[in-house]
Amino acid sequence: MFELVRSIRRHQRLLRDFVVRDLKGRYVGSTMGFFWSVLFPLVNLAIYAFVFRLVLKTRWSDQQPEEQTVLLMFAGIVVWSAFSEAVSRSTVTLVENSNLIQKVVFPSEILPVYLGLSSWVNMCIGLAFVVAGVLWLGYIDPLPTPAVAAAAGDPEYLPLAFGPSLVLLPVLFVLQYLFALGLGYFLGALNLFIRDVAHLIGVFLMVWMFSTPIFYPAVLVERANYGWVLALNPMYWLIEAYRAVLLFGQWPPFDALARFALVALVVLFLGASFFHKSKPRFPDLL
Amino acid sequence: MNAASPARAPAASLAPTRGSAIYAENLSKCYRLYRKPSHRLWDVLFGLKTYQEFWAVRNVYLDIPHGSTVGIIGENGAGKSSLLKLLTGVTTPTTGKVEVAGRVASLLELGAGFHPEFSGAENIRLNCSILGMTSGEIDARFESIVAFSELGDFIHRPVKTYSSGMYVRLGFSVAASVDPDILIIDEALSVGDEHFRGKCTNRINEFREQGKTILFVSHDMGAVKSMCQWVVLMDRGEVLEQGTAEKVADEYLKRAHARGNERLSALNRGSSEYPRWGSGEVEVTGVEMLGPDGVPSHVLRTGEPFSIRLRWKAHQATKNPVFGVGLYRSDGTYVNGSNHHWRDQPLEILDVQAGEEGEVELSADRLALLQGQYYLTTFLYDHSKAAPTAIDHREHVLTFEVLDPKRQQHGMLLLSSRWSVRRRGPGGERQGESLA
Repeated sequence: MFELVRSIRRHQRLLRDFVVRDLKGRYVGSTMGFFWSVLFPLVNLAIYAFVFRLVLKTRWSDQQPEEQTVLLMFAGIVVWSAFSEAVSRSTVTLVENSNLIQKVVFPSEILPVYLGLSSWVNMCIGLAFVVAGVLWLGYIDPLPTPAVAAAAGDPEYLPLAFGPSLVLLPVLFVLQYLFALGLGYFLGALNLFIRDVAHLIGVFLMVWMFSTPIFYPAVLVERANYGWVLALNPMYWLIEAYRAVLLFGQWPPFDALARFALVALVVLFLGASFFHKSKPRFPDLL
Repeated sequence: MNAASPARAPAASLAPTRGSAIYAENLSKCYRLYRKPSHRLWDVLFGLKTYQEFWAVRNVYLDIPHGSTVGIIGENGAGKSSLLKLLTGVTTPTTGKVEVAGRVASLLELGAGFHPEFSGAENIRLNCSILGMTSGEIDARFESIVAFSELGDFIHRPVKTYSSGMYVRLGFSVAASVDPDILIIDEALSVGDEHFRGKCTNRINEFREQGKTILFVSHDMGAVKSMCQWVVLMDRGEVLEQGTAEKVADEYLKRAHARGNERLSALNRGSSEYPRWGSGEVEVTGVEMLGPDGVPSHVLRTGEPFSIRLRWKAHQATKNPVFGVGLYRSDGTYVNGSNHHWRDQPLEILDVQAGEEGEVELSADRLALLQGQYYLTTFLYDHSKAAPTAIDHREHVLTFEVLDPKRQQHGMLLLSSRWSVRRRGPGGERQGESLA
């Protein structure tokens, strides 16, 4: 672990080059570079909104107005995409950079680190849209309180708002980053031993995505007696925390956050140890 | 260099000499070869021995003092590249240890260490960072690296669009500009054009003058001999011989000779897929090349006597058969052709009867071909008619190799040429001459 931290500090410059290069490749390479990175999540959102909101008529809860649903989904998608991008790219990054690993003494431990940073930058672009949505629907053109909730004086109704809990945002960033990094280290190294991992990870992430309440409210899962799925899913805890902080200005449940932090650190420790232990064999395995 | 260094380390008692640039002891590298990808899984999960061991490098002992230029030679697959990877620290040894003192810059293979999507400029920064240079150092040298590579505007294009020559130029520019203590060069350099190779040679000579250590890897004995004082000869992962360039070069040529013969006889035994045509009254039943000692061989040496013997057998009576031999370089260049009829004093074979057999031989005192691979085509034509017609024409009937131990001339032909120099100056006129 400490050796990894030291190596990352030593190769700061290299790391920066990789991140800059990766972002440039994404945003400068194509003619409408930046536009694509914005368009892609929006199209994603439109599809999911159409399927879940208009066709399947998913409602977050009776108390929440319909307009909030799309924003709730969007926040989930943005966080999930960044996470899954970091994990899936880390899985194949050693193979993709085999030219470097096999031919020069290359600090391969910086590869998942840079992919995590790069995906974080992309997530920030998406989150900016979420923030803009909250600003619009919460302050500039506020949603009317639904009649049902207003009538009942329902305490469960949450208006879109910012609050002091926003200070937790960097903490969420860091925890998410560490969790993805741990998985990335583990899967990246494992993929050299078992190349099928690269193929499995896509399926695995898809199953994971749909078992996480991104397009549907967690309440529905509990009502269907599948609450244990949520209890096992750290990404659910994380995404709910993001929603509480970003959309409603609320403090996330701290026990869930603490659990996530614990899981993230354990995964990072195990993943990084496995990566570090198998690193000398990388050039032979490629 | 300690001339008494054994080729293999007999014991661990050999302590590193003070001032060794590279010291390796009992160095071995074993790769695991799996027949199927799933076998690797069984190995990883349950430790089953589902692999075959391949020892790419075996018990290598090296002790290279600072400031020496060392050549490593061996045929393809001798373990040269595997050894280099161990020395540069890219791979970890299975047994033994390596100690390297100082910053190593290596030019292992074409485009090694380049990221294909990155531009040339980005790759320069990437490579420099990997070599442990700081931003300041990189900025200071960036311009000179770009200038040395002569890549011009291409420096801003992704390296995947580069030609192999451009790869080498970029690679060498970086390796040579980072001010390494030890420079390791694989055969990649041979790809560059004449002009750039000259620049590289100059730069390498500068390095030598600065007292840096250079490790040079090639299977071109001539190149190694001209650059290195100490040569390490590898074969099948082991160091066969290490010593002065002269000594090892002889051993290498001897081995190349034996190997070449083995390989070429196998090649020549195989049924020919090359065309053969003619009316067939007389048949060329065999073709042999004979070395100076009159023994059949597929490997000849430049400047030595040789002969070509054709065996023939007549199936039907023939009036005037004429045998000829054509010499071609492996790329198809027609080097020489002759027959025994078109000469100042023609030799005639007249009225051959059915069932007769015999030999014809072409011999020369000096083989004027330089190092390379060549092949023979034999002609047997009937000259009794107005225009000669083919009786037995055999294309590409025998492949042979020419070794040139001296390597004083380059190209295809050995010319018995002469150099002369005239100098005029205050001291009067002087002349010097050198014979071939």
